[in-house]
Amino acid sequence: MSESLIIEATINGFRRSFEVAVHHTLLDVLRDQLGLTGTKECCVVGECGACSVIVDGRPMNSCLMLAVEVDGAEVTTVEGLALGDGHLSPLQGAFLDAGAAQCGFCIPGQLIAAQALLDRIPHPTIDEIHEAMAGNLCRCAGYEQIAKAVQAAAEAANS
Amino acid sequence: MKTFEYARPSTVAEAVALLEQHGPDAELLAGGTDLVIEMRNAWKVPKVVIDLKRIDELRPAIRENGQWISISSTTVMTDIAEDARIQKYFPALVESAVVVGSVQIRARATLAGNICNGSPAADTAPPLLIYRAVVAIAGPAGRHKIPIDDFIVGPGKVALGRGELVTGIELPIPRQPIGAAYTRLTRRRGTDLASITLCCSVEEGGVARIAYGSVGPRAVLVEDSSGVLADPGAPDERKSEILDEVFADASPSLRSMRASPDYRRAMLRVLGARALQTAIDRFGDAS
Amino acid sequence: MKADGIGAAAHRLGGIGRVTGHQQYLADIRLADMLHVKLVKLDCARARIVSVDKSAAEQVPGVRLIMTADDLPQPVPRFGPQFQDRPILADGETKYHGEPVAAVAADTKEAAEEAARLVVVEHEVLEGGVFSVADALDPGAPLVQDPSIRADDQWARTNILREHRFGWGDVDAQEADLVIENLYEFPMVTHFAIEPHGFMAAPDGEGIAVWSTIQHPYLLQKTIGKLLKLPLSKVRVFAPDPGGGFGGKQNPKLEPLVAYIALHTGRPARLVLTLEETFQAVRRASAEVTVRTGLNSDGTLVFEDFECNFLIGAYVDIADRVVTKGSYLAAGPYRVPAVRIVARGILSHTTPSTAFRGFGIPQVTWARESNLDEGARALGIDRLEIRLHNLAEKGEEFVPGDTPADGHWVQSVQRAAELIGWDQPLAPGRGRGIALGLKSGPTTGLSYSTVRLLADGSVLVFSGTSDMGQGARTVFAQIASQELGVPLDRISVVMGDSSVVPYDQQTSASRSSVLMGTAVFNACLDIRNKLTALIAARFEVPESDISIEGGVVRIPDVEMTITEALQAGLGPLGGELVGNGEMRKDKDPSHPLGGSAAFFEFNTTAIELEVDPGTGEITILRHITVGDVGTALNPLQVAGQDEGAAIMGLGHTLMEHYIFDEDGRIRNLGAIDYRIPTSMDLPLQMRSDSIENADGPGPYGVKGISEGALLAVSPAVGSAVTEATGLIIRDLPLTPQRVWEAMTERA
Repeated sequence: MSESLIIEATINGFRRSFEVAVHHTLLDVLRDQLGLTGTKECCVVGECGACSVIVDGRPMNSCLMLAVEVDGAEVTTVEGLALGDGHLSPLQGAFLDAGAAQCGFCIPGQLIAAQALLDRIPHPTIDEIHEAMAGNLCRCAGYEQIAKAVQAAAEAANS
Repeated sequence: MKTFEYARPSTVAEAVALLEQHGPDAELLAGGTDLVIEMRNAWKVPKVVIDLKRIDELRPAIRENGQWISISSTTVMTDIAEDARIQKYFPALVESAVVVGSVQIRARATLAGNICNGSPAADTAPPLLIYRAVVAIAGPAGRHKIPIDDFIVGPGKVALGRGELVTGIELPIPRQPIGAAYTRLTRRRGTDLASITLCCSVEEGGVARIAYGSVGPRAVLVEDSSGVLADPGAPDERKSEILDEVFADASPSLRSMRASPDYRRAMLRVLGARALQTAIDRFGDAS
Repeated sequence: MKADGIGAAAHRLGGIGRVTGHQQYLADIRLADMLHVKLVKLDCARARIVSVDKSAAEQVPGVRLIMTADDLPQPVPRFGPQFQDRPILADGETKYHGEPVAAVAADTKEAAEEAARLVVVEHEVLEGGVFSVADALDPGAPLVQDPSIRADDQWARTNILREHRFGWGDVDAQEADLVIENLYEFPMVTHFAIEPHGFMAAPDGEGIAVWSTIQHPYLLQKTIGKLLKLPLSKVRVFAPDPGGGFGGKQNPKLEPLVAYIALHTGRPARLVLTLEETFQAVRRASAEVTVRTGLNSDGTLVFEDFECNFLIGAYVDIADRVVTKGSYLAAGPYRVPAVRIVARGILSHTTPSTAFRGFGIPQVTWARESNLDEGARALGIDRLEIRLHNLAEKGEEFVPGDTPADGHWVQSVQRAAELIGWDQPLAPGRGRGIALGLKSGPTTGLSYSTVRLLADGSVLVFSGTSDMGQGARTVFAQIASQELGVPLDRISVVMGDSSVVPYDQQTSASRSSVLMGTAVFNACLDIRNKLTALIAARFEVPESDISIEGGVVRIPDVEMTITEALQAGLGPLGGELVGNGEMRKDKDPSHPLGGSAAFFEFNTTAIELEVDPGTGEITILRHITVGDVGTALNPLQVAGQDEGAAIMGLGHTLMEHYIFDEDGRIRNLGAIDYRIPTSMDLPLQMRSDSIENADGPGPYGVKGISEGALLAVSPAVGSAVTEATGLIIRDLPLTPQRVWEAMTERA
């Protein structure tokens, strides 16, 4: 038992080992300790989805997890979505094409939820998209454009 | 959030020992979707947080032994919703699991946590009541099982003694055809806490069972063996009389900002009738 | 130039940062040695502050300052965009739930939070809080505002901030075949930008630097300069792109507090609000609007008589302006011979209301359009017909003596009717509604832009607009691309630094494409003129022989790109051309709003829906929005703004509202019990369309477009609910419970 712990996790493809305070959330650690500020803080009750990250293949709210809980896990944040050569991923490109990013504050979480969906269901229906993204609020309400972007990314992967 | 000691036991026995040692100063961490909020808001200030997710015995697992499906206490809603056996035997449980929060929440929130929190609005409580679930408990005095109906006590209260924890929830595989349906009342279509949770079943012998929550201190189960509710041809007036009795014990909160007591009472009737019809239809398909 | 210039569906400038997570919002910026600030608040609305005990909080390691009103200059400085009434910290009394009483600054966020919990504020909850229009107008009600704040004002000894009267013709002299009178209520709703408000300040040499999620950085600069008695040149405001504004981030709120903390401690200080605190900081004014509509039996509007009571908060912020702009056009886009409008801003012990997309118009539109539908039904006239019958034609002075209708609005109405299939048979159980919204654009404006054509032919545009999602950067770059023939990938737009970027009055009222757009356009013109002069000198030709078109410079016998011309003109030392542009729309003191509308935002919204007869739940099957946009500079962004406004309108129509307890506490603070639309709450079908006649005052005929689609959502939905159910509901939101209650009452 301890109030801080050295954990090992794969963050955006890189295995790293670092010490975290046990009462810090994954969101706190990503933003304040690892400098990965792409993951956003808004409601901190798991309602808005701005803090979404993918942990071991599933999207989760990093505001509702202690950082120690990802010990041994693989974590993908928005910074980890671009392709290895620095190019945008097809999904990121589709968001630009569709005009899905307006103010942009919710977009990291939207991208994470969408990527997790496409990883699970490569060709989702529009209802599956809306359902999978219902935990990501967008007050610019670019929901239509976001859904179109996800569909376009799915179609692009097909061709 | 106040700091605490973080414990990561690898056996149930270790967890039980920690719980027994720290009593009310300890909190169990499974999905954490409620606990983290409670700690951040200082509603709970535990000295020790016991993370159950490294206990091999509880590793997310759904097991079947021919008569029972058992769901370990660290199994999350997504696992339940995606499990073919649960889809087959307990579709109404799946219907309730897929509306708990968002995809992100369901990837984290556990079935056991949903019940152990003691929320009157827990989505999974009505289907667990309908399916006659049993809660498996480990504690200093050993292990025992109690029916879900006895486990759920009231707001924030479940039948767990000092040093006890839930190791799993077990569901008897129905031996007879059963039609069941889950529904809920919310303020919007997207993620929301339910103002009514309701599950109906229709079984052999004209038995209809209705479990409902969010309209009183705990989810309740009512059985109608008159055959009227289960009878597709029974006149509406007769069903209506029985439904009045079924929902007579509802005591929705006067202070709730989610829905007024009158609306909740009325919606119990509307949703109850609809879910019953779905259950009847499904029973017809199943038998 | 379609590829990058005007009319192109160009990618958002700043889009890459938004999809990679690299875009820096305020909370992403870290300053060295930064203090974290946490507010101390009371869990009640109206209370007298007896004393503040800091002793326990001061013991928390890392706490550097606990600031109360006593630590500020006395009397406690006050500020505000219209009235100087908002104190830096609660001054002797809290006037709304969550008003900051003290602030803790500490080395870490955790220490600040812990200490804030330990500050003990001895206080006495005061009875008689004013939480409604009725409370406020009760002769026995306490005064929300100290009368000395507006000592020579005739309303100072009431809770009415001001009463405004507008109108024309003689309503009382009109004879109508039918008079319909009703009261309509509009709830308190909040902006809920996904980025909570945040503020930072740091000592900066002899002055101060302030960071804010603000829409009006230059107003903030003036406010801080005045409070701290610093020249504008010593107040540097950084305004990173806000993560959504919607009006809530227009005016300074807690920046002065953070600035005092930074100066007090000599260290950078940062305060990022929680979402709950943001709810306590900004909201839309609720309203009770009584409207009497006089109609002739053929559907001709004879008069409109409005009494608009807006419940504003404890401090005015910009609310008086919301009241006037919201009510002045209460009669809408119609030709009405006599109109009387009485509009009041009423103070209350609630969150200060502020600008919010639509700026007072949605509240009044809900009343006017709904009442018109009641009239149409009573007369047996089609709801579309009655609108077309009374709608002002282009060029018609529908408000006598004021700016005439600036668009062929009928086209928007007809397009919406066509898209919803107004003349098609309606399936049983369904209803349709159509409603019109009209809003004045900006009535004054002042925008400057500098454009620099760099030696390699690339371009920097400097603009003081805040890009909060509307896409101002992209549009300005498209204008520069069009005028200078430079592709978008060679243009950057610099914003958000008051020491670098020239003055802009504000980002509000859907103004920026028109006003700042014109300034950018003019700055590009200035560059073209300078380039012409340069080429004339270099090639020894008269300026009249030189033409610059589509990025190509032509002089007799020679054709070259702008870059070649620039480099030839600049010579071996290189350098650049700097162009300046300005757009000014001066005040007109004779106008009731201080100036005529630069343009109108006109929108038609049409809805088809069904209502669950058991639960009262509404399903929006189709949602049509058609704006009169002048020119769509970037159709992708127009659609984004339009659909976004439409869905935001569905929010306050169907589900959003603050819920108060008896003591004025907001019960549904935060995301769990304040519901906004999610991806699963969308209309089954949404269609946004634009009427483009290039008849706006901005470059290429553009008008503002960002608010229109929100204005008329409520009445269109309400009207469709009436058609589907026969029920008339005059109070928003149309929650399932409220619809069910109406059904039950009828039965």
